[in-house]
Amino acid sequence: MKKLYSNKWVIFSLVAPGIITFICAILAPICLSFYYGLTDFSGMGSFSFIGLENYKVLMTDTSFWLSLRNSLLLAVGFICIQHPLAIITAAVLDRLQGKAEGFFRCVYFIPNVISVAIIAYLWKFIYNPSFGLLNNILKIFGAKAEVNWLGSGLAIWSVLIVLIWHGFGWGMLIYYTGIKNIDTVIYEAAAIDGASAKTTFLRITLPLMKPVIQVNVTLAIISALKQMETVYLLTNGGPGNETQFLANYLYKQAFNSFKYGYGNAISIVFVVICLLATVALNKIFAEQKTA
Amino acid sequence: MEIVNHKNKSIGKIIKFIILSAVAIVQIFPLVWLINFSLASSNELFTNGLLIIPAKIRWDNYITAFVDGNVLLYLRNSLLINSLAVLIVIVISIMAAFACTRMEWKLSGFVKNLLLVGMMIPIHATLLPNYVIYQKIGITDTIWALLIPYVAFSLPQGMFLMSSFISSIPKEMEEAALIDGCGIYRIIAIIITPLMKSSIVTVTIMTFLNNWNEFMMASTYLSSKTWKTLPFSVLEFTGEYSSNYAVQFAVMALTALPAVVIYVLLNKHITKGIAAGAVKG
Amino acid sequence: MKKKLLSLLLVATMVTSLAGCSGAKSSDSASVEEKVTIRVFSNQTDRKTGQGLIEQTLFDNYVKENPNINIEVEALDDEAYKTKFKAYATGNAMPDLLNAWGQPSFLNEVIDAGLLAELDKSSYDDYGFIEGSLDGFSRDGKLYGLPRNTDVMAFYYNKKIFEENGWKVPTTYAELLALAETINEAGIVPCSMDGSDKWPLSIWMHDLIAKINGESKAMLEASVTNADFSDPSYVQAAQLLKDAVDVGLFQNGFETTDYGTARNLFANGQAAMYYMGSWEMSMATNEDVLEDVRNNLGVFAMPVVEGGQGAATDIAAWNGGGYAVSANSEVKEETIALLNYMFQPENWSKLAWENGVCMSAQDYSAYLTGDETEPQKAFTDIVVGSTSITGVTFNDLGTSEFKTISEDGSQQLVIGALTPEKFWETMAEACK
Repeated sequence: MKKLYSNKWVIFSLVAPGIITFICAILAPICLSFYYGLTDFSGMGSFSFIGLENYKVLMTDTSFWLSLRNSLLLAVGFICIQHPLAIITAAVLDRLQGKAEGFFRCVYFIPNVISVAIIAYLWKFIYNPSFGLLNNILKIFGAKAEVNWLGSGLAIWSVLIVLIWHGFGWGMLIYYTGIKNIDTVIYEAAAIDGASAKTTFLRITLPLMKPVIQVNVTLAIISALKQMETVYLLTNGGPGNETQFLANYLYKQAFNSFKYGYGNAISIVFVVICLLATVALNKIFAEQKTA
Repeated sequence: MEIVNHKNKSIGKIIKFIILSAVAIVQIFPLVWLINFSLASSNELFTNGLLIIPAKIRWDNYITAFVDGNVLLYLRNSLLINSLAVLIVIVISIMAAFACTRMEWKLSGFVKNLLLVGMMIPIHATLLPNYVIYQKIGITDTIWALLIPYVAFSLPQGMFLMSSFISSIPKEMEEAALIDGCGIYRIIAIIITPLMKSSIVTVTIMTFLNNWNEFMMASTYLSSKTWKTLPFSVLEFTGEYSSNYAVQFAVMALTALPAVVIYVLLNKHITKGIAAGAVKG
Repeated sequence: MKKKLLSLLLVATMVTSLAGCSGAKSSDSASVEEKVTIRVFSNQTDRKTGQGLIEQTLFDNYVKENPNINIEVEALDDEAYKTKFKAYATGNAMPDLLNAWGQPSFLNEVIDAGLLAELDKSSYDDYGFIEGSLDGFSRDGKLYGLPRNTDVMAFYYNKKIFEENGWKVPTTYAELLALAETINEAGIVPCSMDGSDKWPLSIWMHDLIAKINGESKAMLEASVTNADFSDPSYVQAAQLLKDAVDVGLFQNGFETTDYGTARNLFANGQAAMYYMGSWEMSMATNEDVLEDVRNNLGVFAMPVVEGGQGAATDIAAWNGGGYAVSANSEVKEETIALLNYMFQPENWSKLAWENGVCMSAQDYSAYLTGDETEPQKAFTDIVVGSTSITGVTFNDLGTSEFKTISEDGSQQLVIGALTPEKFWETMAEACK
């Protein structure tokens, strides 16, 4: 019987498809990226090796740092705006019984299932200074000037709002599940002790939710780094490079400026940053657990 | 005392309701607005009001959107590509997860971690090199150009969920089967897989949601209509009808519809599936 | 119940996929005979009006006359088109017939990489191409493409709004700026501007340089080659653009307004003017344009700058959009045949003019009827009366990287992130 579980051929046949997919679709392209990242390949014709020149240029490329800053901003936005709102909504929703609970849960999640392409176009209209929904709402409250939501200075916040709005349902649902998993006995005990809703939330719900929050925060940071589609369609990084994100920037460099080599160098840095971020976060949270 | 408490409770309930409704309105109103104007004519968009009663309800916007937006073809492509990706991800991830958690071999830990590394790698980092590779082997503009990356980048998550589930299944079940003379493959197919229904649902939903949104790969790798996915209905249409906003709204509403309908119908399963994934994650 | 739903979904998937499959198959079986498929990559997404309609009509006619030919069109909007075009170039897998712009920023790198097929220049002698119109598609004396139009940049304006308010067409730039204030007071957007695509801003500046200096073509070409933008007229032009922004000539948020939105503001009567190329003359016949606008369409060229040496007849015009053939095409000969068919004078040139779509780069005087739309007449007058033309504007004179930097720069200029001086310094830097 033991033999059966250590039969090399069986093991090989089971893991081979996974490993082959990994090597062909993830590892090989990244190696190729590394190779092209060392060249001045424009995308066409011949090219030559220039060593780490692309990486040197990247270090002083303001747009690159701006992209990183934007990812960081987005992560902070997720953690400081989306998640608190999501936790509170989830906590309130949890105490609501009956059909309304299911109804709200369903409504909150709907934006999540709509394709990013539609979301981006829809918000372009919502933000339109001349006839957009948002300015029309402001007009009802008596605002006179038309706000240019995607203009310089405001654009990055407008992009953040869309992303926070779109991902809200997901965050809410995960927190909601976490809260549902808390033993009701604890709440009942708190109620007998006369604890208010606020104290219950702060003293019981939040501490017990800590692991869920940690996972969610990690996911938020990673997804902030990976952001691409919404930005590409909503602003394409503009105005200037104000709303640039890494993935969009490498695409623009490779295919708008004919700097395929440079774009690939950005890809490699992009991968490294994502790996480092994940490892760092895991470490931070692991230390907290042991502490 | 009793009455005051009661009153407090009902006030509390009202406040809760107001909060929840406010959030609901924020989440859903843009979509209501979308549908509202998709039934108007283009010029009516230039108003100061939030919602309008169209002078004439323009159902023909939807007919134009449906016919010229290739909605049916692109919907079929989206469903087909996504379903295939889900299927492949499930099969491969169960196999690999079983091998890495149950089988006894030296490298099991290493291989598992290797496959999980994929979870941290952004899909768009492979956009440029993959384009060149696919071009060389001649699979751009085919279904493979999308299937391969979609499967590859959903696999780690699937593998993660599957292996955490498999390790929670008691070994005795398999052992009984082994005594009956079953091979490993049969054990996976007959014993393990049926036990993993909830994980399979979770992986299905996660994979579907991940790839349903993707379109950078699709727009870079595809050129003919044959395999284009649903987001292209919107992308192509806005160019084609750039001067007719109402029809653009209609095509957006129409392409959003299938996913929303599926979600509302399967709401409970999907919520449960995500919940199962969230707890494991 | 739940199971039923799931199975229902499955069935639905299968039915739609079957429907799709059978549809694809039937068209395949019809093409069993040796059919040649020409893949066309076009920037004309709208196949029902304007240039897209003309293009599609010609394709349809050609297929009718040549039953063995099959034409497959992939169409994307300008910006998406350019990106995908470069992706195709990177993969070395161009479609057969391509839309191309006769501008160094777009063509040079592609030609140098050997991706475009050389055309036989002498075979176009009797096609009636206007003198100089093939220059943009030539490199080192060889021809690589054919231009579709003569493009002229000008202001479209809503005559009705102008008349009702007693506004006059500005004859100087100062009058234009003054008009901006008056129009704003009436609660209308003075001039609709597509700032998100950025190139209209660059053209605006080049248009002004022409008004300041008279001749501007050789001057800017030299500037790009020598990476020297120190001429004071450049800073002046950039400043004048900024002035226009500051007096509120453009709509709020113009720097992020895309092409379609900018046009629709004007087409729906929200804006009094619209700065765009002559290819938009088909607004006069487009049913989607508000009737009031459609029937009251006027055109005027960029007014003169006080103290400048240029006249209003020194216009921003060039031969831009056109077609090229992929060098690696497996059906190169068939594709060139199709291209030649399209540009026989009685095809593109005639159809484009008769439908009020644009002015071809060929001599179309034979097709003048006298029943032309207002913009058609106005643009003809502008071209006929011109004393000099800008040619390809400066943003398109360098490499594709220069184009990206210069257009990003013009956007930063209008939002005040770059001063006019700094803007041209950046341009010089980018040319090096």
